[in-house]
Amino acid sequence: MVKSGYKQKKVINMHKIAEVEIQHDIMVANKKLAQRNQRILDKSGVFSVDVVGAIGSGKTSLIEVLIQEMNYKIGVIAGDVISKFDAGRFQKYNVPVVGLNTGKECHLDAHLVEHALEDLPLDRIDILFIENVGNLICPVDFDLGSHMRMVVISVSEGDDTVEKHPLIFKDADLVVINKIDIAQAVGADEEKMVNDVKMLNPDVEVIKSSLKLGEGVDSIIKAIEKFMNE
Amino acid sequence: MHELSMADAIVKTVLDAAEKNQAEEILEVTIEVGKLTMLNPEQLKFLLDVLTEDTLLESADIIIEEIPVEIKCNSCSYTGSTNLDDSDHYLLIVKCPECGERDLEVISGRECNVKNIKIEKSE
Repeated sequence: MVKSGYKQKKVINMHKIAEVEIQHDIMVANKKLAQRNQRILDKSGVFSVDVVGAIGSGKTSLIEVLIQEMNYKIGVIAGDVISKFDAGRFQKYNVPVVGLNTGKECHLDAHLVEHALEDLPLDRIDILFIENVGNLICPVDFDLGSHMRMVVISVSEGDDTVEKHPLIFKDADLVVINKIDIAQAVGADEEKMVNDVKMLNPDVEVIKSSLKLGEGVDSIIKAIEKFMNE
Repeated sequence: MHELSMADAIVKTVLDAAEKNQAEEILEVTIEVGKLTMLNPEQLKFLLDVLTEDTLLESADIIIEEIPVEIKCNSCSYTGSTNLDDSDHYLLIVKCPECGERDLEVISGRECNVKNIKIEKSE
């Protein structure tokens, strides 16, 4: 019953449409975390190297050699999709190792590395190698906070590998072309690979190596030391 | 899969903004993806559809805009876009369109930006 003089009010849920500016760049968010990681590393005087490369190019083998040959206290973050095989390989050398399983992801990101840093005795490490997941595509978008990025490829991936994955080489600080001892057997022209890298990144140092024969290791060590002293 | 982690981060960003703005429904989301990122917009969209099931975002229109590549040439100081073949990432970053030099910096084209959302809310 409506009182006279009063109009019955029809109940309507009033809605409005609003536009909300967000402007949140996911890449920038990762970059900020990466910068924080670098500050943590710097505070402890740790120089870090992000090691990226194709599956089977020799990333793990190279880090194993560097652990043995470099005159520094070394630590490793070993990224893998599901296994802990690589972490197991490094543990044999009695160095601090954190195995990072990405689960479903094809790359490490700054957030994963941040957690790994919590589990490492940073004050007892001079050089931290961060072995990324074997992939030349996805890691391009994700800065980890390392001081340099070393890209490791091998002739057995084909001498068009560089052409096919330009961005990872554009950003590289050091490029290693491994397994040159089998270049002829697999029909790859390692000089073409060097030239392709130079096309994309004229100033980067490119080192040809054969970890099997111990070739190129001294040059790789010198190149890393050069970055450490910059 | 690379796009999955990005899609996941996008969904979290959008739902967070929606909650802060008391949204009852999200009608539209605009995302900007740089041409030089390793993200495939089609895959990103597919994964966003999967991840938004049963959320406020479920029926939102997802708009993905491409951010073109802009470079700065360290040799001749040219700053601007590159006139390149869409299909060829290799050429995209090799030479300055003005002087032909290769010493370049990419100044845009690597973003994955959640730009804005259109929401419905009570007055």
